[in-house]
Order: sequence, then C-alpha cells, then structure tokens
Amino acid sequence: MANAFVAAFEILSFGAIIVLIVLGLGIIASMMGIFNFAQGEFVLLGAYITYLAYANGLPIWAGMVAAPFLVGALGFVLEALIIRRFYAAPIVAMLGTYALGLIIRESVRGLIGGFYLTVPEPIGGSIDIGTMHISAWRFTIIVITTLVMVGCYLLLSRTSFGLRMRATLENPSLARASGISTPLMYGATFAFGSALAGLAGALIVPVFSLYADLGIRFLIQGFVAVMVGGVGSFIGPVAGAGVIGTLSAALPWIMAPVVADVLVFVLAIAFIKFRPQGLIAGKGV
Amino acid sequence: MPKSMGAVKQAIPAEIGGEMDVAMAEHGAAAQAVAGRKVLPIVEGVVLVAALIAPLVLQDYLTVFATRVIILALFALSFDLVWGYAGIMSFGQALFFGSAGYGVALLARDLDITNILVVLPAGTLIGLTFALLLGGFLLLGRHPSSVIFVSLGTLTGSYAADRLARGWYYLGGQNGIPSISSMTLGGYEFSEGPVFYYLVLGILVVVYLLCRFLVRSQFGLALAGLRENEQRIAFFGYKAQHLKAIIFAIGGAIAGLAGSLYAFHEGFVWPNMVGVVVSTQVVLYVLFGGSGTLIGAVIGTVIVEGVSFWLSDNYRDVWPIILGLLLLLVILFRPLGLISFVLGERERVGSFGARIKENRDAAP
Amino acid sequence: MFDRTQLSRRRFLSNFAFASGAVATGVGSWVIPAPWANAAEAPIKVGIATDLTGPIAYAGNADANVAKMVIKEINGAGGLLGRPLELYIEDTASNESVAVGNVRKLIQRDKVDMVLGGITSSMRNAIKDPIVARGKTLYIYPQLYEGKECTPYLFCTGPTPAQQCDEFIPWLVKNGGKKFALPSANYVWPHTLNVYARKVIEANGGEVVFEEYYPLDQIDFSATVNRIISNKVDVVFNTVIPPGVGPFFKQLYEAGFLKNGGRLACVYYDENTLNINQAAEIEGLASCLDYFKVLTKENPFDAKIQTAYEKDFPGNFLFAAGSAATGTYRGLKLWEAAVKEAGKIDRESVAAALDHAKIAEGPGGPAEMVPGKRHCKMKMYTAVAKGGNYEIVARSEGLVDPKEC
Repeated sequence: MANAFVAAFEILSFGAIIVLIVLGLGIIASMMGIFNFAQGEFVLLGAYITYLAYANGLPIWAGMVAAPFLVGALGFVLEALIIRRFYAAPIVAMLGTYALGLIIRESVRGLIGGFYLTVPEPIGGSIDIGTMHISAWRFTIIVITTLVMVGCYLLLSRTSFGLRMRATLENPSLARASGISTPLMYGATFAFGSALAGLAGALIVPVFSLYADLGIRFLIQGFVAVMVGGVGSFIGPVAGAGVIGTLSAALPWIMAPVVADVLVFVLAIAFIKFRPQGLIAGKGV
Repeated sequence: MPKSMGAVKQAIPAEIGGEMDVAMAEHGAAAQAVAGRKVLPIVEGVVLVAALIAPLVLQDYLTVFATRVIILALFALSFDLVWGYAGIMSFGQALFFGSAGYGVALLARDLDITNILVVLPAGTLIGLTFALLLGGFLLLGRHPSSVIFVSLGTLTGSYAADRLARGWYYLGGQNGIPSISSMTLGGYEFSEGPVFYYLVLGILVVVYLLCRFLVRSQFGLALAGLRENEQRIAFFGYKAQHLKAIIFAIGGAIAGLAGSLYAFHEGFVWPNMVGVVVSTQVVLYVLFGGSGTLIGAVIGTVIVEGVSFWLSDNYRDVWPIILGLLLLLVILFRPLGLISFVLGERERVGSFGARIKENRDAAP
Repeated sequence: MFDRTQLSRRRFLSNFAFASGAVATGVGSWVIPAPWANAAEAPIKVGIATDLTGPIAYAGNADANVAKMVIKEINGAGGLLGRPLELYIEDTASNESVAVGNVRKLIQRDKVDMVLGGITSSMRNAIKDPIVARGKTLYIYPQLYEGKECTPYLFCTGPTPAQQCDEFIPWLVKNGGKKFALPSANYVWPHTLNVYARKVIEANGGEVVFEEYYPLDQIDFSATVNRIISNKVDVVFNTVIPPGVGPFFKQLYEAGFLKNGGRLACVYYDENTLNINQAAEIEGLASCLDYFKVLTKENPFDAKIQTAYEKDFPGNFLFAAGSAATGTYRGLKLWEAAVKEAGKIDRESVAAALDHAKIAEGPGGPAEMVPGKRHCKMKMYTAVAKGGNYEIVARSEGLVDPKEC
C-alpha cells in the first residue's frame, strides 16, 4: 500500500515537471502556430539563472523568482527581433528557433564549460508519512505547478488581458481592427511561454543538475506531448504532458528502461496518427 | 499576372508562403530570371570541376575530410529531393542514414562481409525499406497528414531510433560499433585517400544525374505540381500521398547509400548517426545552400562543413555559436539559401518548356 | 627569440617562457613548440587527443594540462634522446565523429610519433582505428576502463576491473554488507565491469540482487530507488555516470538509503565528481583508484606533482585519478622511459621497450608494464568520502596486477 503510494507520488511528480515544461511550449504552439525549438534552451536559461544566483551567494529563491521574468523578457525581445518574421512559415520558424536554441545552448556551454553543476534545494529533506519518505522539494514542485496552471487558466479565461489574447488568436485582423495591438499580443504570448519555461528550469535545477544539454532532453518529449494533447487549446498540451510524463515515469517500473523509453514515443506517434487532433481538440481555452 | 509573381508562384515551396516571397523575388534574383540565362548548368559545372581537381591540390588529410564532405553532400541530396521537390519536411533523415550505417557495420562485424558490391546495395536497400515503412505510416492513410505531423513524426522516428540504438547492447549501445574494416573488392581494400574520394565522387555524380533526370521527368512535373498546390493536383487525379511516399522512399534509399559509405569511411557507427542532431544538420545544409536545386544541397554541405572545420580550428571555444549565428542570418535574410544569390527563381524547378512561357510572358 | 650563437644550457633554460601556454597555429590546433631551436635534431612530436569541450571536458582539460606539465619537465631536463618534445593537442569534443576528424589531423598532417588520449571507452574505440590501424602510430590510453583491450600497439595505463575490484569488493562486503545492487549506465564499460564485479562479489559470499542498465540521460530513478530499498540492498555498486548519477544519488539519499546503513560504491568517483552532489548525499561513498589527493600528505612525490600542477593550472580542472590525469602522467613517463631504452622513435622499437617499461615514481606510487600484456601494474587505494573529502581506508600491498589479455 505504502509502496503504491510512493510510486504514485514519484510518477506524479515527474509528470508535474513535464507539464511545467510543456505548458509554455503548448501555449506558444497553440496561440501562434509555431513550434519553438528553442523552448528547451529557455528551460536551460531558467536553470542557469538560478545557478548564477546560488553561485554568487544570493538565496536560491531569488534566482527562482528572477528566472521567469528574465527569460520572459528575453523571449519578448527575441520575438520582436526574430520570431516575428516566421509566422507565415511554420517550418522555417522551427528551423529559425533551432538556430536560436543552438546559439543559446552553446553560449551557456561556453559559460559553464561542460560541467554538471548542482544547486541545492531551497526546501530540502523529506516529508515523512509513517515509513514513507517523500521528497519535500518535489512535493513543492507539484504544488507550484498546480498553482501556475490554475493561474494561467484564470488569466486566460477571466481577465481582459486573456480575452484580448484569445481574440488575437482567433481573428488577428478583427482584433487589430478593434484596437488590440497584435504585435504586442504576440510578443506577450511568446514572452509568457518563455517565462513558463524559465520557471520550469528554475524549479527543476535542484532535481536534475545543470548542464548544457539539459534542454534537448525535454524538447522531443515536449513536442510529442503537445501533439498528443492537441494543439489549439490550453488544456490540450497539459493533458498531453500529463500522459507522456506519466507514461515515461511509470513504464520503467514494469519493463526494462530502454524499452520503455522507445515505447512511449512509438505509442505517441501511433496515437497521433489515428487521432490527429490529439486528445483534446478545438481551439480556445 | 506580373512576371515576378509568376516566377515566384512557380518556384517556391508551399510552406514559405505569403508576403516574404514577393519581397524575395524583388531582390535581384528575378531580374536574372527575366534575362533567361541558364545559370544552373554553369554552377553545376564549376562545382564538378572543383571537385575533380580537389585531391590534387589538397593535402592528404584534407582529401580525407573532403571525402567525408562528399558523402554528406550525397546525404543532403536525399533530403533536398524530399523537401525541395516534394515539400516533405523530413526531420528524421538520419534514421535512414544511420540505420544503413549500422546495417553494414553489423554485416562487416558479424558476417565478415565487406565486398563493396554487396554492402552498398545492402545499405541502399536498408534505407529504402525503412523509408517505405516510416513514409507509408506517416503519409498514407485516409486523411492526408499535415506537414507538421510528418515533420514531427520523422523527428520522433529519428529520436526513437537513437534511444533504441543507445539502449540495445547488441548494437554496441552508447559506444556504437567501432573498428569497421574497410570495404573490399576482391583483394583490394578501400582505405581513406584519393581512391576513396574519387569513388565517392563518382557515386555522387551518378546519383545526382539520376535525380536530375527524375525531377525533370513527368514524375518530377507531378511533384512540382504537388509542391505548389497539393489539392489541385489531387483533383487532377494524381494520388498525392502515393507520390510523396515514393519520393520519400527514394530519398531514404539515397540516404542509406550515403550512410553505408560513411560507416566504412569513418570506420565506426554510433547512435548519433541515427539521431536528431544529424537529421537537423542535413536540413541546415540544404537550407544554407538552397533547396529545390539539387546543386544547392551540395554547395550548402561544402560551405557549412568547410566553415565548421575552419571555425573549429581558429575559434575553438565559440565556433558553434558563430555557426548558429550564421545559420540564423541565412534563415532570416536568405531563406532560399545562398544559391539564390546566383540562381534565378525560374531555374529552381527546371524549364518544363519555359522557353515557350518566356516568349509568352515577354509579349507585351 | 633565442640568440643561436650564444646558445648554452643555462641561456636556453632561462629563455624558457612556457607559462603562457600553447601557440595556436593558423591552420591547426594547439601546438606547443619545442623551446630550444637545437639545429641538430628535429623535435619528437607527441600527440594528445582529449575532450577539451563537452561533458567530459573537466577530465580532458586536466589531461591536457598534465601533458603540458610533463612535456615541460622533460624538455627542461634536456629533452628525449637529445631532441626536444613538441606537443600537439587536438580536441575530441566528446563527439566521436569530430574526434576521428581531429585525430586524423594529428596523424596525417602533424605526423606525430605517438598519441595519448581518449577518455570514455566509446572515444577510445572510435579513435583507435585511425591511430593504430590506419595511422600505424603508437597509442596510449590513460583512463580506468573495462578491460579487454588487447589491440597491438595500444597500451593502457589506467586501472582495470581486476585492479579496481579484487581488493575493493571484499572490503565492501566486510564494510557494507552482502547484498549488492548494480545500477549501471548502458554502455560497454558498465556491462563488462559488472561481469567481473559479479564474479568477485559471489566469490566473496555476496549476492547480486539486481543488475540494471539505464539510458545515459535518464534522470528519474524512482523505480530503481524503490527496488533498492524494498530489497534491503546493502551496497550499491554504481556505474551510472553523469548526468544521471547526481539525481540518482540524491533520490537514493532522500529515500533514506544512507540513513539505514547503506553504502554507496563507485569506482570512477574522484575529487572532480565530489562536487556533483551535496556532501551529505554521498557520505560514506567508497571508491578505489590509483591516486587520491589526500595521499599528498604522506607521499612527497605525490605532493610534488600535485603542487606543480596546481601552480601551473589553478582552477577547476583537478589532477585526479578518475579523470585520467594520473594515467596520462604515468603513460607519458613510461613512454619516456621506453624511448630512452629504445634509443629510437619508430613505433616498433618504442613498443618493444614500452612492453616492459617501469617508473620508480608516479602518482600513487611506482608503476610497471606487464610484459606482453600492454597493461600496467600500479598501487590501488580504497577511499571513503567523509564530509566532502576523501579518507584512505585501505591500500594494496604492492603493485596490483591488471590481469588483462
């Protein structure tokens, strides 16, 4: 019984991490129709900023709070300078963001030099329930992820900002005609997606050490999750991330890890083939 | 319809649509197209001559490097066929490249077969088979698959193959299969050097000519139509998905051939060869050179590999960043690749009786 | 730079300006030219191919630094056979494809007389062909590895499974327990090492509860940790490598493994890897290598090398045994001895001499090549991590046999 609970917790916490990373990717894909190949590198940047704070003696919380804002700001700037040109051609957008990601990744590699760096958890230790030990930090991640998701949902569905964002998404020309600054909306959306990635990176860096290839690892999983979940809605990518994350964490319990690894992707692609719209079809929040 | 618009509509793959194209056409390139000069054969000729004399002027180890570049150019050719001519963004081309490499490595390691007349066709066949399987799954079906689905599907295929190769100990796992013996023909061993270079160059030229023939044939015409407007071609009765699957399979075969050559030249195969990095690398080669021209793929490979080589020597620490910046610049400002500097839009697809069209358009 | 007409030993030694490091030539990589323009003999070219960039850069750079230090010392003492040594360094970039290209430069363009390098087994496998078979050059591999490398003209100067397990595992059984788990990274080194380790474990009354292989970038080990705890494993004989090892040890710690008396064991753990985890997470971790920095307190020669290294190369690239740095030192000194004995520099003569070369002083103690086996006997030390530093708890009685080939 206790075993099952611990197993469930571990799987849930890993799923939460994937959800956090995919959230930003999904929002950008849903709202703007482009798959941001640099999303993994935004996660990397969030992790790096947190590490910098720690390495310079600042409290880790400071780094974790700063990361989403800084990465979001960078996302805004990049969108205005570069991403904007790609909207007409999603394929070229993927390549352009890949080049961007390459630049960011290699710059970080140059700065940290191929090392695997660790950052201690702000809330360390474990929560003991009877004989079971649950990592306190992972529990925190689940809590924060849930809060962030709820916050996003509320932002998009209940605020006027969210309303404007959805309007721009559904009918850009009409939105522009109504006085909504479309370029600003796109910039804000991209910044938002990047900020989420930065937050994800900041939260997971105590769990997974910081290294230059951190981003690549999550990128493919992220894309598959978005496609499985369904592009065009808010809950879609979240659902997809939940499914992929849970599968990735759960399958190794019942089969050899290497088989589990490949199986997740094979199943995902087969699923998308037979249900191209993903789990949750439809636009809007 | 204005002349430049006509040229644009004819030449640019459907993915890059909209305002960008008109802007592109208005940059110098269209002017050359109007002049009607055939630049493409000149470019091809120059490249061929340069390739023929290269080993004579380069030092030994640079010839070895050049051989590797030629093999990669063959690989890039396979991608150009698939993307530039059929509009399929295959982010997983390395799957066929690497699988063939692994296949021939296993042949050499377990069955001791290194005869060139066996391994090269075997590699080609492996590439073809995998491409038929993956292409069939991704492209065929009741509803036509979206471009995004195909690109992500190929990406995932390549990634899954990478994970599999990394995990399967029989294939060497993370280490791959090292120390592959050289290809043989009778008693002769093909080791790296000028002989291997000319062998590979010969293969590239033959494949290039075959591709050129293919894209200028009726089949190629259908492909061009497919790239322009898939729905219209379907209404004409062409089975668009089947056409795509065929060209995808051919691309896979060529990639397989390149992969087997690569395995024997480098002497080892490892999971990266089937993975995402190599897949995206070939996309970048073709992007750099210019898709839809065949020769653009070759030029792009030579330039990117050459620049990487030079950069890694001189700017050891920052060269990947510089490479990334260059690529970004090309994507931003010359999405049609470097070859658009010299090649007119009209030449990208081929004439198909353009002479008549030119005269017609030239009429007041 | 030098005034040839007045070249004297004292003069050229004082003109020796080496601290600035290598000169990057126009078309090449790093070349450290011989400092004395001795007109009589051409320099002897030493090639180093190591990971200057990439995930193993921390080890590769240390190895390159050691090579620079040793070459400088040899040149300072008058060179080899009266000829200066010239160092050519190429980056293998933790990328086998790039590595092969760069190694070809060493062989075909620079025409080096010997290559030392490669850290991971996959790198060694990738570059040994261009060096030994196609390049017909001598190759020295300096890193601890899984054994079974018996290619002619390929000499290994790092610890083998026999050296790392024969005395270590009995110690683990006595100081940890009988139930072993073998969580491993999925590539050739763990696979082959585990075969040997299992044999020794079972011969000492131990039991292997499970043996599992994970992809290199796996970072979630909850299933494994659960298996370890529920099976009451005493000793985790770990061969998971970065990036997975940090999260793995952390998750194991959080599940209470160390609290309940479990012991971690990892044969590649050295001073460089101590920083991957917090000290508490690896408390009591045992490792078995040919050298630990704490030996400098008792061993004057080790202190001398360590101090010299840290003076020339302060920073993050530590002189440590798990990073092939000690193997590099040992390899270069053995090679130097072999060349002196052979009196010539061609591969046949040097290989014949290197076959039975010995050095009286090296990191961790003396070393000698086992004739006919191309592997090296050396002293081995078992150390335990306490509060973020190592403490030696056992040493070998003499030089340990590698038992290879």
